[in-house]
Amino acid sequence: MLSSFSSLESGLGLTVVVFLPLVSAIFIFLIPKKQEMLIKLVTLGSALLTFGVSLVVALQFDFNNAGDLQLGTKVTWISSINSNYEIGIDGISLPLLLLSTFISVLAIIYSFEHLPEPKNAKGMMSLILILETGMNGTFVALDLILFFVFFELVLLPMYFMIGIWGDKTVRSVSGLKNDIETRLYASIKFFVFTLFGSAFMLLGFLGLYFRGNRTFSIPELVELGSSGAFTGTFATLVFAVLFLGFAVKVPMWPLHTWLPDAHTAAPTVGSVLLAAILLKLGSYGFVRIALPILPEQAVAWAPSIAVLSAIGIIYGSLACLAQTDLKRLIAFSSVGHMGFVMLGISSLTSIGINAAMIGMVAHGIITGLLFFVSGSMAHTYHTRDMGRLGGNMKLLPKTGAILAFTAMASLGLPGLAGFWGEFMALLGAYNPLPGLNITIFRSSMVAGAIGTVLTAGYLLWMLQRVNLGEPKEEWLDKELHDADNYELVAWIPLVILTVLIGVFPKLIFGATNDAVIALVSKAFGG
Amino acid sequence: MAAITLDILLPRKFKFIIAMVSILGSLFAFLPIIFQFANYTTPEIMFEGSYVIDKFSLILKGLFILVTYLTFLLSVNFVESDEYYQGEYYFLLLSSLLGALVVTSSRDLLTMFIGIELASTPMFLLSGWKKGDQKSNEGSIKFFLLGVLSASLILYGFSLLYGVTGKLVFSDIANILIQQDLAQSPVALLSAILILAGIGFKISIVPFHSWAPDTYEGAPLPVTAYLSVSSKATGFVALIILMSKIFFESGDGLGIILVFISGITMFVGNLSALQQTNPVRLLAYSSIAQAGFILAPIAVANITNNFEDGVYASVTYLIIYAFMNIGAFLVINLLQRNIDSENMYDWGGLAKETPLAGIFAVIFFFSLAGIPPLGGWFAKFVVFRSLLSTGEIFGLSLAIVGAINAVIGLVYYSRISKIIWMDSPKEDVQKTENSIIPSPLKVVGFVSLILTIVSGIFPGIFSNLGEASSIFFNS
Repeated sequence: MLSSFSSLESGLGLTVVVFLPLVSAIFIFLIPKKQEMLIKLVTLGSALLTFGVSLVVALQFDFNNAGDLQLGTKVTWISSINSNYEIGIDGISLPLLLLSTFISVLAIIYSFEHLPEPKNAKGMMSLILILETGMNGTFVALDLILFFVFFELVLLPMYFMIGIWGDKTVRSVSGLKNDIETRLYASIKFFVFTLFGSAFMLLGFLGLYFRGNRTFSIPELVELGSSGAFTGTFATLVFAVLFLGFAVKVPMWPLHTWLPDAHTAAPTVGSVLLAAILLKLGSYGFVRIALPILPEQAVAWAPSIAVLSAIGIIYGSLACLAQTDLKRLIAFSSVGHMGFVMLGISSLTSIGINAAMIGMVAHGIITGLLFFVSGSMAHTYHTRDMGRLGGNMKLLPKTGAILAFTAMASLGLPGLAGFWGEFMALLGAYNPLPGLNITIFRSSMVAGAIGTVLTAGYLLWMLQRVNLGEPKEEWLDKELHDADNYELVAWIPLVILTVLIGVFPKLIFGATNDAVIALVSKAFGG
Repeated sequence: MAAITLDILLPRKFKFIIAMVSILGSLFAFLPIIFQFANYTTPEIMFEGSYVIDKFSLILKGLFILVTYLTFLLSVNFVESDEYYQGEYYFLLLSSLLGALVVTSSRDLLTMFIGIELASTPMFLLSGWKKGDQKSNEGSIKFFLLGVLSASLILYGFSLLYGVTGKLVFSDIANILIQQDLAQSPVALLSAILILAGIGFKISIVPFHSWAPDTYEGAPLPVTAYLSVSSKATGFVALIILMSKIFFESGDGLGIILVFISGITMFVGNLSALQQTNPVRLLAYSSIAQAGFILAPIAVANITNNFEDGVYASVTYLIIYAFMNIGAFLVINLLQRNIDSENMYDWGGLAKETPLAGIFAVIFFFSLAGIPPLGGWFAKFVVFRSLLSTGEIFGLSLAIVGAINAVIGLVYYSRISKIIWMDSPKEDVQKTENSIIPSPLKVVGFVSLILTIVSGIFPGIFSNLGEASSIFFNS
């Protein structure tokens, strides 16, 4: 595959997309704290430039060969272990890369006026930028060690984002003697869970390295993997640890418990970036690394993944029905939606994996928007308790309208982006790769279908409780601010994208389809 | 040759002079190392094989000198702030440095023993430097008694080897052990275990670790930093040389013992660190856990005989660990200047008062936890790599133990950053206005910071070391 990098390509575009945010973050460290506006403008400028370059990269991308890795480069990085700075994109990573650079811009625009206590724009802005480098880097890395470093690079910024700007309410946690602030508990839980997964994942990477001619190059390992180099107990173990690393991040049931805490506690931008991008790192890892390098194991594990996904879908929706906290409800809805993504992947067919790809992008846009809106509402009302909210449409008409729209998109209304991922994932599960246990997949599909109904149920119920009805008395004499311009600038593009992808899913499939077909035929011959 | 003589003699010349000269001296001592390294062709063997200068020893000498240099900088304000004996303080540290430098090149029993003891004896005095302080006295007495015991154990082990083979130089001993089929004999094993126990005190591995927390807590902070970095590294270097030059044919038994010790050390260190409230004790237990990590590759190398990867991993870890740990002690030092409490839970919100110390804390402690892209990740990575290199069961199990411990470590390493950045200040704690950071401390901070970050982002700089360890092992 490497030979497909044409000689004119230097990987410069992608390198800029990855490192420009990091360089800007270092630059921001040097600006005095008092010049807040300058800090914000530099951050925005850097993010816009990064997004611009990623668009240029997309324009250069040859969609006729979307299955090939393009626009990349390979430079020696750590010679002693034969790890290289190897980057490149194909149709699978391109949409996610664009999503990442785009959402980062919106998150920064939103943060211009909406920083929770303690303000400190300098800290927040530099963390967002470091986070962006980690996210973009993960999507372009083609070397396991490089991937690992970027995959982990997102941990520190997110940890501090949750821990410093997060929810300060004190809660009791079973197993802890003293009550603890939500943000502190959530941030360390997020960190420990993810690190636990990735520490083992690293052992798996090393295993592949030693069995695979001492290379960390993903394309080379894919070649080896599809020619059957990794088999037996060894492959089972490696897949198990990779599964652990990625599944925690997705998160799949039953490894999801950090997610509701982290989402609820995180500041708005933190939740948005977490939901929109960070969760995708896990599912992307499955598609980029686990499936193509260990196809045999993927087939063996697929039924279990399907069952876990189905449980995740049902569990997520039921948990949503039990929530009173608006952000927590959306967090659990993520568990359900990522369940659909994983169900699609587990079918190991091109339909299913395409579904997962569009599902990831759609979830990024829709749930990102949901967290924007709910975060903003929590800021306005100073509560997330749905029992106290109500009549939002009358109090904050603009916010309410967008919330209603996004909820509709999230429940998978045809014509909006959320529909394709769910629908096609079910389709994929109905007809999984030949040889997979059809009963298990069809049962999972039925569970998923029930899940869509439940999803519709809890989202509509949420709308009824929050948006409709008459406002509670406590809000009537208060002055509540509807969405301001910064918020609208951050939100409207996501609304437009939701409609666009809903109506023209080819926007995504145009890129992913060839790449997915190439992946499936190479790995599973199907 | 001349350069090396200079390198060893130089520190000695500064017996009675003040800090500046010591600091400059240690910097100057760095120069011959660089020249030697640049002109390096083949290992230089002196005194009939007793003293060898190869890339391996040069790199380690460089490390020791740099660490001592940083310790001096850490000490300047400390020693001046109280009326201690300055001249002696620096002299003792330099003597210890000299011992460490000798160990890196020693290839016979006598030279090594002198090196080890020269490195550790001054520390008995230094750890009790706070004379009026009971904890300091208690710590140094414990350290002294156990230190003497450890010296005698090492000596006993050495004398057994000499008794059996009649040789002093390691390569001769190894040859005779192999020729006479004694490599796996009870005598060889016994002497290996005695030596291991003796050096075990120096590197504070379980069950020889109990002195460390008390001594670390009582000693002056710069001395603690030196103890946890340089003294530990000296012990490890001695252990690495002995294991790979004498006991490489000693069979799996020794390796299995080491594997267990390494795993248990990680657990004991980490689990105890979780419960500490005093940051210095926390770092003491953390350094015990880190010793488990450094020992792991050597342990497995004893079973697989893949010393090349093992030595490379251990030494890489030692180097990266040295800088992040010095940085961690610097952070404690900086924060303690601002608050009158040794309980770190009282330090809430301190980062707002000294943001620079706050950033240092994040970098060094998360590097110790092994979070990319900070240097610590590469240290852990090479250890895992060497453990898994042969896919053998002990290596695999130890790797899993290591992975679990990396996660436990994160919990307490993140704690200080959490407290100073996220917690709200405690009202009943006395704060001292001390916002200006003295420039020597800043230098320590930035040097360690740069080394920590660069080694994380461009670990390629350690490739030289891989080559060095293969030369070391094959010569």
